[in-house]
Amino acid sequence: MSALAGTGALVRLALRRERAVAPWWILLNVGMTLALISYIERQMPTDAVKATYTAVIAKNTFFQALGGGFVEPRLDVLATWRSGGFLYVAAAFAAVMCVVRHTRAEEDAGRAELLRAAGTGRRASLTAALLVAAGISVAGGLSATLTLVASGLGATGAAAYGAAIAVAGWVFAGVAAVAVQLSRSARTATMIGLSVLGVAYVMRYTGDATRQYWLKALSPIGWSHLVRPYQDERWWLLGLPAAVAAGLCVLAYALLDRRDLGAGLVPERLGPASAPGERGPVSVAWRLHRGLLVRWAAGVAVLAAAVAGAGTIAGQLAAAPAASQDLLRSMGWSTGDILDVLLRYMTLIFAHVIALYPVLMVQRLRSEETSGRAEIVLATPTTRLRWAGGHLVLAGLGSAALLAVAGVVHGVLHGLLVGDLATDPPRVLAGVLGHVPAVWCVGAVCVLAYGLLPRASVALSWTVWIMTAALGQVMGPLYGMWAGTPLEPFHYIPNTFAGGPVDARPYLVLFALTAALVTGGLLALRRRDLG
Amino acid sequence: MTDAISVSGLTKAFGSTRALDGLDLTVRTGEAHGFLGPNGAGKSTTIRVLLGLLRADGGRARLLGEDPWTRATSLHRRLAYVPGDVTLWPGLTGGEVIDLLGGLRGGLDRRRRKELLDRFQLDPRKRARTYSKGNRQKVALVAALSGDAELLILDEPTSGLDPLMEEVFRETLREELRRGDRTVLLSSHILSEVEALCDRVTIVRDGRTVETGTLAGLRHLTRTSVQADLAGPPHGLAALPGVHDVVVDGGRVTFDADPSALDAALRCLAEAGVRGLVSRPPSLEELFLRHYRHSETAEAAGAAGTAGAAR
Repeated sequence: MSALAGTGALVRLALRRERAVAPWWILLNVGMTLALISYIERQMPTDAVKATYTAVIAKNTFFQALGGGFVEPRLDVLATWRSGGFLYVAAAFAAVMCVVRHTRAEEDAGRAELLRAAGTGRRASLTAALLVAAGISVAGGLSATLTLVASGLGATGAAAYGAAIAVAGWVFAGVAAVAVQLSRSARTATMIGLSVLGVAYVMRYTGDATRQYWLKALSPIGWSHLVRPYQDERWWLLGLPAAVAAGLCVLAYALLDRRDLGAGLVPERLGPASAPGERGPVSVAWRLHRGLLVRWAAGVAVLAAAVAGAGTIAGQLAAAPAASQDLLRSMGWSTGDILDVLLRYMTLIFAHVIALYPVLMVQRLRSEETSGRAEIVLATPTTRLRWAGGHLVLAGLGSAALLAVAGVVHGVLHGLLVGDLATDPPRVLAGVLGHVPAVWCVGAVCVLAYGLLPRASVALSWTVWIMTAALGQVMGPLYGMWAGTPLEPFHYIPNTFAGGPVDARPYLVLFALTAALVTGGLLALRRRDLG
Repeated sequence: MTDAISVSGLTKAFGSTRALDGLDLTVRTGEAHGFLGPNGAGKSTTIRVLLGLLRADGGRARLLGEDPWTRATSLHRRLAYVPGDVTLWPGLTGGEVIDLLGGLRGGLDRRRRKELLDRFQLDPRKRARTYSKGNRQKVALVAALSGDAELLILDEPTSGLDPLMEEVFRETLREELRRGDRTVLLSSHILSEVEALCDRVTIVRDGRTVETGTLAGLRHLTRTSVQADLAGPPHGLAALPGVHDVVVDGGRVTFDADPSALDAALRCLAEAGVRGLVSRPPSLEELFLRHYRHSETAEAAGAAGTAGAAR
């Protein structure tokens, strides 16, 4: 078994490195499960409310597709149904990342070579990665099971639910194991793995939305849904993903035995040999970061479409009996036209999510600096101000563009599905774009942190974004934390959906604040040591 | 003749670590100057100060006659820089990186670029994430050399290059120097590389200049280390002028000899009967261990030794 030599040591090494990742994953399973149990207990205390909710869901294609299949008006079913749609995908995602991290990424970094030369076998690193990924999947599932049991729900259903989470991880650990043999870089391997996950999700979603259940039955994510915990617990169905995972592992080993270390079966594509005409700092920043912006635009468009789909529930809820009206009121939708309140709420969701983009762009500035890439740019006649300015112009225009994408997609789809196609798109777009100054302001705080406290800037900028999102008007009310936090910029933006005159002062104040913060950050950057 | 680089008494501390502790460096216009020292001696810190990336705590630095901190931008129009550890944007191809840097520098010579790519055998269509360290180094070298800078600042430019490519680099740099209007600051911890290219050298250690001058002037740098297996004892070898550090261990003798003393030393060995002979120039690590040990503390010499071994 010399091909497996050193597997034990590699497993220990991988577990040592997973200490920073796996706990979050377990926390996610526990937190998500607990959050939905308490959410359903709080919002749907009586059987009558649960029944109403279930009846509404059964008529709404979007929510049925999102949750995955039919639901029964019981706490255990509702809680696992709501969290499962998310946790199955999360388990698959975690497994893909874990396997790639401990195999192809190690080869890319040259560390695999070091270990292979130190006497570990050819199959040791893949075996260790698979064991660790499978183990983390089981730990994730088990933590969900224990959470359910500890909350006083049935143990059998809890076990089925945990198993459904774990097998989703197994299948995608197998997918990633094959992907890392095919690709020449960790990046490509991750892309292959996540693309398969995306296709599996879309097949499952479409299957539930169109009632073409064969699509769902072909999707690995669908298999976990079909286990149906707390309904009829089809244990035998767990065998299918387990068998597929095993088959994928066999394939991965067969491919592994046929390739060189560092090589892949799919050749890396060659790029352009030259890039004439990239001169100014803005065009350089665009070349360096356009990939991030394009991915964000795609993600925002999908989010906006999903949110527009979720909006279809509004009309049905408004027409629903009094019990549901209580549900609405508890969510803070108590005043005004329900559609307008909904639009305002969804616009805030876009603004909070998109505010992360300038935060990440400022963090990229820091990573350019620490990696030494800024050094070779700044050794050219580019000044620090122009270098940072190029990034910030892209960050500013990029966040405005992302808000515009959200506004257009959501406006048009909302008009088509729920509202009025003639009047909704322009007012939704205007409402979303109104949040540009607040989004910029969040980014500007990060610029100041980057200029003044470069070492702490990444941690500070995450804190800034999480605080604005967590204390904002979207998340705050969920746990009773919204008290008009003065430091949160979004609540100063006037609600244009309510109608009435719009006050220009908040916009001007936020623009001025943004300008002051960015200026301060850039002045500090000009005076400090770099690198 | 004016000096391209003139640095005196430069100090820079990072927290409690003193990276530069009164460093002096003078590079004359039109010369190739070797900047030698073990890792951690302060070479890269000095270069970063000269590029205006770091601000010196004390001392004086002049680059092409101007202050590198306040006049960074206009100075950068006149220089090209190759860092010691080149990191590139993983998603960009080598060709894109070369053009991007060239564009920021105000354009590059397309013919020269193509010629250099051919010479260094670099495929410009590959993404930077697939390049080895040596290939990333080549990207930075091609970008720096296809411009028309009057000053080249090269920080350990051959680290990661194989010996063949090292020779290509030396040949290319010699051609550049033959034009006569280029000044080169070449930082390195490899003595032979500096010997092959530079007229004058500055040797630094622990943030301070230990020695500076022409290679010919630093006689002890051009000593030859000899190790010989002899039939009998080498009578009178240790007494010869220009022969240093003689150690006799049974039939094996090791010593260093100045060029002027080689003839007499070899004659002395031949008389004793030579069975084996190895001669080579001393490595920088040996120089630091042997020559500078006397003027520094034993602890510091040990640190230089481990720094050399760690490479």
